[in-house]
Amino acid sequence: MQTIEQNPPVEQNQALAAALRGKSRHRVLGLTFDDVMRYFFGGNATVALVVLVLIMVFLTKEGMGFFGQNRTNLSVYRKAGLEYVDLMRVPAEEFTALTRTLSDVRLRKFKASVASGKDAQQANEALADFDRFASQFGRAAGEVRGLISDLTEAASAIKTRAQVNADREEEKQMLLHAKMTAEAAAVKLDPVDFGKEIQAITGTLPAWREAAADCRGKLTGAIALGRGASWAQGDAQLQKVLAKAERFAADLGSVEKKMAEWKWDAPIPAYRAFTSYLFGTEWITASFWQDWYGMLPLLTGSLLVSVIAMMIAVPFAISGAIYVSEVASPREKALIKPYIEFVSAIPSVVLGFFGIAILGTVLRSLSEVAWLQWIPGFPMSERLNAATAGCLLALTSIPTIFSLAEDAITNVPKHFKEASFALGATRLQTLVRVLIPASLSGIISAVLLGFGRVVGETMVVLLCAGNRIAIPDFTQGLGAFFQPVHTMTGIIAQEMGEVPNGSIHYRALFMVGIVLFLISLGINYLAQKVVRRYRISIG
Amino acid sequence: MRAERLTFAGFRVATYAILVAATLIFGIIFVKGSGTVFQQTFPFVNTAFLTQSPETLHVFEWEGRKLELGDRAFRAFIEEKGNPTVVKETYVYSAGGIFPCIVGTVFLVVGSMSIALFVGISSAVFLNEYSRGGRLVDWVRLAILNLAGVPSIVFGLFGFGLFVLFAPVFGPVPDPGHISIPLGFTYLNFSGWGVSLMAGWFTLAFMVLPVVITASEESLKAVPKGFRDSSLALGATQWETVRTNVLPYAMPGILTSSILGIARVAGETAPIMFTAAYVVRDRLPWQVDKAVDVLFQGVMALPYHIYVVSSKIPQNDYTEHVQFGTAFVFLSVVLLIALSSVILRSRMRARYRW
Repeated sequence: MQTIEQNPPVEQNQALAAALRGKSRHRVLGLTFDDVMRYFFGGNATVALVVLVLIMVFLTKEGMGFFGQNRTNLSVYRKAGLEYVDLMRVPAEEFTALTRTLSDVRLRKFKASVASGKDAQQANEALADFDRFASQFGRAAGEVRGLISDLTEAASAIKTRAQVNADREEEKQMLLHAKMTAEAAAVKLDPVDFGKEIQAITGTLPAWREAAADCRGKLTGAIALGRGASWAQGDAQLQKVLAKAERFAADLGSVEKKMAEWKWDAPIPAYRAFTSYLFGTEWITASFWQDWYGMLPLLTGSLLVSVIAMMIAVPFAISGAIYVSEVASPREKALIKPYIEFVSAIPSVVLGFFGIAILGTVLRSLSEVAWLQWIPGFPMSERLNAATAGCLLALTSIPTIFSLAEDAITNVPKHFKEASFALGATRLQTLVRVLIPASLSGIISAVLLGFGRVVGETMVVLLCAGNRIAIPDFTQGLGAFFQPVHTMTGIIAQEMGEVPNGSIHYRALFMVGIVLFLISLGINYLAQKVVRRYRISIG
Repeated sequence: MRAERLTFAGFRVATYAILVAATLIFGIIFVKGSGTVFQQTFPFVNTAFLTQSPETLHVFEWEGRKLELGDRAFRAFIEEKGNPTVVKETYVYSAGGIFPCIVGTVFLVVGSMSIALFVGISSAVFLNEYSRGGRLVDWVRLAILNLAGVPSIVFGLFGFGLFVLFAPVFGPVPDPGHISIPLGFTYLNFSGWGVSLMAGWFTLAFMVLPVVITASEESLKAVPKGFRDSSLALGATQWETVRTNVLPYAMPGILTSSILGIARVAGETAPIMFTAAYVVRDRLPWQVDKAVDVLFQGVMALPYHIYVVSSKIPQNDYTEHVQFGTAFVFLSVVLLIALSSVILRSRMRARYRW
């Protein structure tokens, strides 16, 4: 019986292999050179994961302190009485809006009488009655305004003292931390007794009542004068002002009630630090009165710009994708595809510069063309606005959407198309009924990724969006598209270089970064989910 | 049939509209910028613009003529004429050239691409050659996918938080106010690298990492499986196989695909705004006292310079040529890089057909 040849023992095998290669395997720390290389590559592969984690860690590390600081910020706002003064300021500002409408009315009347052939002097004389009424109207808030400006100063003074004290306390802590006790003891703290200081402000409630009563009286007189006057008859705008003024006078009491109920030591709940950030409608920094870090204006600005960009980019990019994959000849294809890929290489700062130097001016002069005036928002009041930035951003997102959508359409299995043609469908029918439904998941994810690219784009919006930090006035409908906005990416780029490290403003900017990061992760997740969920339909 | 033709014509119009819009942008910048960069006389290239530092521009009237002089020329001129007082308008950065910006951009690109290629190719080799799936690899792939979508400004913030403010440096004494680890002969202080080339390199490298990894993996996948199998069958180890039979064939593809990454690195402004870029710096990167200072200095960079000249100085006839000139140079550089990537890649595809 023949013996079956056994495999040589393992050691012998290895020795043989080593001999064949002319070297032996050294082990260092129990690892062969091959193992070392393996772990080296493995280690490098985790870098991407580590970086993603580090991004989260460092954004959080710098940003999370914001909420604590914001709570302190809000609590000083209340304790120092700034909130109280702002209560008074609400009616005062309403009143200012009324007087502004009145001067609009005057300007309109003046223009009308000039247009009817009077010269400027005659027109002014004709408006003498109106002017008397307007000045009586305007005087009504005199005392209220005086009181507010006094209290503004008082409250600011308290706030400043509190801040100085907080700074000193911080200094003292730092000195103690560095074990410099003598120096720390030398730092004198002067804690502000808010309860006592606030008396000076809340104590003015009777004075406010008087001022308000005075205002109400004068205003009622002025309204009566206006109602009775002949020039007010049939003037809808003026009647509206008068009606508003009546409501305003009646409403003054509610402010008094709020002021009486206001308490300086009512605690600020912790969630307010979050909500005042997430839903705050104002982003005001380096203000002498009160800083607000509300993200809403930035978020709406970013979204508005992105929506404009997508409205332009999606039709063009998807038409392009369909054209290139289904209609174009191979030669056209060989030209268009690399060219659009080429467009994606245009640096965004160059596009931004193009917007400032050329496109802004071009769009604005286009908006002044007479036969385009039916478009809401035309003529544009600002050269740089959401639409200018949106047009350029569309160009940055078109390559992304185009190439992903083109891939999706091309990847539809060939037999889908063949089956459709075999059933007698035309090319258009095949496209609309077969190809697009089959590649819809890919197209949607392409659009989502393009949207993500646009939201995260910085330089174009920083240079071209106009940088006005305010929620666009959506009451103007589509006109909101032509208003200047500020964006989340833009505000970071603009303000990050100027803020002291560790300040509340600095942390607020990092918070904006965190929100941006989360948005980009969310969009990515959504895009992947869409692809995975609906890919089955292709089979 | 008519509906079909109309629809397809609509698609065609939309497609060509994209191309026309892009061409218009290229065209306007090229036409306006070439006035600055080229000239009518020999050597036909405005060498001063490409080799000098930015200067302040002075515009003033002299004997009935409008004169535009850079800062140095202006001072010499005034001295020569016996210090007369002139009514002048000044515009910063509007005279001189952009040499330091070009140099800075080259430094940034070379450094960050070296890091990105090293880490990126290694990752791709692991993912494609070594890994056999598993939880960690899934996580890594997910991370790469998500990293690609992170906005560049967030990378800027991250680089600022980590490299500028926190990264470790060696120092002879512990730094108060920062974490400090004694190493015996020296201290490792976590006080950050400051606004520096190093910070910019790493920030840009991590930003472009997903591009490099994806490109490398694609090229590695294109190497036929038979190459690996035959090498392994001959008794080579995994590393030997990768070194001799995979990487040499994948390398050209990896490098050409990564050129697109270079265009991205050279073109981004947001990540370097707080990590590496200076508005203005008199010294060139190699004019340092100690060799190590090369790594820890900020530089001027083309994209940031465009941002500065387009947002911080007014738009008028005097400032226009430096603005368009810089944009022209920058755009041509980036587009040349991108163009070579596109061409090389299509050639590569034609050459390697296993």
